[in-house]
Amino acid sequence: MKVTVIGGGVAGIQTALALKGLGLKPVIIEKEDTLGGKLRGWHKLFPTMTPVGEVLEPLLRELREQNIPIMASTEVLGIETDGVITSHGKVESRATVVCSGFDLFDATLKEEYGYGIYDNVITSADLERMMNNGKVALVDGTQPRRIAFLHCVGSRDEKVQQRHCSKVCCVTGVKQAIEMRRWFPQSEIYNFYMDIRMFGSGYEEMYRSAQQEHGIQFIRGRISEAAPVPGGKVQIKAEDTLIGRPLKMTVDMLILLIGMTAGCSNSHWAECAGLEQSDSHFMRPLNVFEGNVRSALPNVFYAGTVTAPKTIGESLNEANAVAFRVAEYLKGL
Amino acid sequence: MNFNSPFALPFSIGCVVMFAVIAYKYVRWLYIMPDSDKRQIKANIFSRRTWQAVGECVTESLLHRRIFRVNPVLGYMHMSLAFGWFLLIATGFVETVAYMGWTPVPLRGHVFFKYYSREMPHTEMWQMVFTQVMDALLLFVLSGVALAWCKRVYSKMMGMRRTTRHVWGDRIALTALWCIFPARLLAESTTAALWHNGGFLTGTVGSLLASSLSVEALLRMENAVWLFYALALGVFFCAMPFSRYMHIFTEVPLIFLRRWGVTSDDRPKSFDHFQLEACSRCGICIDPCQLQRDAGINNVQGVYFLRDRRYNMLSAEVADTCLMCGRCSERCPVGLDINKLRQNSRYSLHNSPSFRRYDYLRGVDSSVGSGKVGYFAGCMTLLSPRIMLAMEKIFDSAGEQVWWADRNGGVCCGRPLKLAGEIDAAREMMRQNTALFVKHGITTLVTSCPICLKVFREDYNLPGIEILHHSEYIARLLDEGRLKVKCNQTEYTYHDPCELGRGCGVYEPPRQVIQSVGQLLEPEETRNHALCCGSSIANTTISDGAQLRIAESLGRSLEATGAQSIVTACPLCKKAVKRGTKLPVYDLAEVVADNLTAQSPQSE
Repeated sequence: MKVTVIGGGVAGIQTALALKGLGLKPVIIEKEDTLGGKLRGWHKLFPTMTPVGEVLEPLLRELREQNIPIMASTEVLGIETDGVITSHGKVESRATVVCSGFDLFDATLKEEYGYGIYDNVITSADLERMMNNGKVALVDGTQPRRIAFLHCVGSRDEKVQQRHCSKVCCVTGVKQAIEMRRWFPQSEIYNFYMDIRMFGSGYEEMYRSAQQEHGIQFIRGRISEAAPVPGGKVQIKAEDTLIGRPLKMTVDMLILLIGMTAGCSNSHWAECAGLEQSDSHFMRPLNVFEGNVRSALPNVFYAGTVTAPKTIGESLNEANAVAFRVAEYLKGL
Repeated sequence: MNFNSPFALPFSIGCVVMFAVIAYKYVRWLYIMPDSDKRQIKANIFSRRTWQAVGECVTESLLHRRIFRVNPVLGYMHMSLAFGWFLLIATGFVETVAYMGWTPVPLRGHVFFKYYSREMPHTEMWQMVFTQVMDALLLFVLSGVALAWCKRVYSKMMGMRRTTRHVWGDRIALTALWCIFPARLLAESTTAALWHNGGFLTGTVGSLLASSLSVEALLRMENAVWLFYALALGVFFCAMPFSRYMHIFTEVPLIFLRRWGVTSDDRPKSFDHFQLEACSRCGICIDPCQLQRDAGINNVQGVYFLRDRRYNMLSAEVADTCLMCGRCSERCPVGLDINKLRQNSRYSLHNSPSFRRYDYLRGVDSSVGSGKVGYFAGCMTLLSPRIMLAMEKIFDSAGEQVWWADRNGGVCCGRPLKLAGEIDAAREMMRQNTALFVKHGITTLVTSCPICLKVFREDYNLPGIEILHHSEYIARLLDEGRLKVKCNQTEYTYHDPCELGRGCGVYEPPRQVIQSVGQLLEPEETRNHALCCGSSIANTTISDGAQLRIAESLGRSLEATGAQSIVTACPLCKKAVKRGTKLPVYDLAEVVADNLTAQSPQSE
C-alpha cells in the first residue's frame, strides 16, 4: 500500500526505508533537488565527531538499492484523506508521514549581535559550512586569535517568539569549540551560555573534556550587544552572572549558536488539513507518549523535528517508530 | 404666588446637597493649589485666554463638538442632553421672568413653573410661543434620552464597539437621569390635561390622558407625577457630585484652568482633581485602546483608570498596565491628559528617592569625536546597529563633524524611569546627560530615538542647543541640498511612532524624507490616530504574547497598504513591528543611507 513521506532529510529517508522493510510502498516528496536535508550542511556530528558522510551515505545508498521513488523539487500544497496535493499534481496514498523538519533561526532578527552587518559575526551553520569547505578564517583571510560562541540565539528567547529550548545547540557549541581548538591551537575560546544542558549520552564527558583538555572557557551570561571595532574585530558586552560583573571583550570572531524554529511551511498545510500546532509552531503530536508520532488525524503521522527539536539519533528512532504505527494503521483499514 | 407645594421638597434637598458638595470640592481644590498654579491663573485671568475658555465651554460643554467628530449620532445624543437641558433651564427662566416680572422666585419656581403657573391665564401670543418653545426643547432632550436608551442596547449604532461598565453609583444617577425627562413630560402633560396650558407635545399627550382618564383620576395623578419628577431630579442631584455626572460642572473650571496654562505634572497635584472629575466616563477611550482590541485587557483603559483613581481604589496593576501610546487622549472629548495622570499615579506608587543609587554615574563620559552636532543614539539605537551605521553614513555624506555622545555606552535619557514613575532617578539621569551635553559645547543634538527626543524636549533644560529627531535633521539636510538621494519607485508605508507623532507632534519630516526616496502609502489609522507597536517602554506588566498580538495587528494594517516595505523612525518600533510582519522593516535613516548618491559635498 502506498504511503507518502513528506521531506527527504534523515527522518524522511529512514521512514521510507523502514516502511519498505515492512512491505509498504513509500514515496518521498522533497522540496529541494537533493535528499539529505540539513544534514548535508553539517561537518561532523556530536558527540562522537562522526563525519556526516558516514551517516548520510549509507542511508542514501540503501534508498537507491531499495528503489524507493523520490519526487524532488516538489512542494506540498495540502494534505487530504486520500493523498497529498503537490506542486506536481496529486499523489494518492493511504497514509502520510510528515518529516518536514525545522528551519534555522534567522540570526538577523537579533540585530544587536550584528549578524549580516559586521564582519566576522557568523552562525554555527556558517561555521559548519566553512569547515566543510576546508577553510575557516576571518573575512580578511587571517586566523582568529580570540573566538566567542554565544549560546541560545533564537532559543529560550521570548523577544523573538522562541520560547522553546532547541536542545542540540549546547552540545553543538561544545563540539564546535573543540573543533576550533583543533583548527587554531593558539586561540582563546569562550562560550557564553545561560545553562549548559548536556542531556545525551557522552555529552557531559565532551563538555568536561572541552574545559579540561581543550582549555575552553565557559562564561555564564548572555551577550547583550556587539559592536564593530576597527580592524574587523567585534566588541561584545556581557555579564558574568557567576561573579555578578559586567564585562566587555574584543574578539576576532563571534559565532552565534542559532536554534531550531518550526518549519515556516507548517502553518499553511497544517491549517488546510486541520492539524494543530504548538505555541512554538512546531506540529503538535497526538500526545507525547505512545502517540508521539501520530497526529490528530488517523492517516497523518509525524517523525523527526517537525514536532520539536531533536537530535539525529532521535529522529532516526522516530522514523522506525512511525513505520510501525503506519503499518498498524493500514492493517486495521 | 405660593411656591410651597410639598412635592418639590426632594428637588430642593437635591439642589442644596449638590451645590454644597460641589462648592466644597472646588473651593478646596483651588485652596490647595500650589502657588505656581495660582500665579499662572493670576497672570492669565484678564487675557484673551478667558474669552477663549468661554468659547470652548460653549462648543464643548454644551455642543460637544469633539464627540460629533467621533460619531455624529453620539455627538447629537450628548448635545441634545447637555445643550437641550441648558436651553430648557435658560428659556424656563426667561419665561418665569416674562410672566412674573423681576420678583424673587425660588429655584423650584423656575423648574416647576408649568405647575405653579397652571392657574394663570395664558392667552397672549408670547405666552403661546413660550409654551411651544419649551415643548420643542423638551422633545429635543427626550430624543437624546431615547438615543441613550438605544445606545445601552446597541452601541455600534453610534460607532462604539464597547461602552463603559458602570459602578453602582453611576447606575443610580443614570437611572434617575433617564427618568427626569419622561417624568417631566408626564407631569406637564397631566397638568395640561387639567388646565389646557400645553403646547404641541404636552398638550397632545395631555388630551390623550384627558380622553382616557376622569378628572378625579387626573387630579390625583397630577400630584404623584410632579412628585416623581421632583424625586428623579432630587436623586440625580444628590448622586451627581459622587458620580460621573460631576463632569457636567467640572468641565467648565477645567477648561478655564487649562486655558490659563495650568497642567498636570510629574507629581500629583490639585489640578488632577479637576481632570479626574471632568471625566464623563463616556467610554470613547475604550475602542481605540489596543490592549482591549488585541490583548483582551478590559479594566485599565483611560475611563477605568480615572475612575479607580478618583475613588481611591487604584491598583498598581491598573496604573502600570498601559502602553501610554496616547490614542485614548487623542479621542477624549474632554481633552484629558490621561498619560500625565497615569504617570504621576505611577510616581505615587513607585518613586524611590535614593540619590546614592547613581553615584557611579558621576563623570561618566565615553563620548568620541568632536563637533557642534552631537548625536545621542539612545539604548535602543545601540541595539539596532543598522541605524547607527546608516546615521554614520549620512553624517559622512553631509560632511558633518559629529560628537558621538553614547556610542561606547552612555547614561540613559531618563524617560523609561520617568514613565515608570521613578521621577527622582530619572532626574539624576537627566542631570548627568545635561552636564555632558553642555561640557562638549554642542549646538545641535540629534537623536534617532523618539523616546529620548521627548524627554530632551520636555524635561531637559538645554539653552542654546537645538534638539532634533533624526527625521527632522535628515529632512533639513535634504532641503539644504547637503544630502543627495535617488528617488526610486519603491512603495513604502510609514508607521508613526507614538512618542514621535502624538508625543512630539513630528508627522511631516519623516514623510517628507520617505517621499524623497520613494512612494509613501498611508495605513488606514495614521498620524495622530496611528497604532502603537505594542512594545512601548511605558509598559511594565503586559506579557510578551500580548505585545506580539498588538504588533501582529499593526503588521496587518501596514501590510494592507500594499507597500513593499515598512519604514518607521524609532528603533523600538522597528524591533516590534518586525515581529508582527513578514515585510522588511527599516528605520528612516537606513532607507536614506541606502539611497544616497555619490555626489556628496565632500566629493564635490
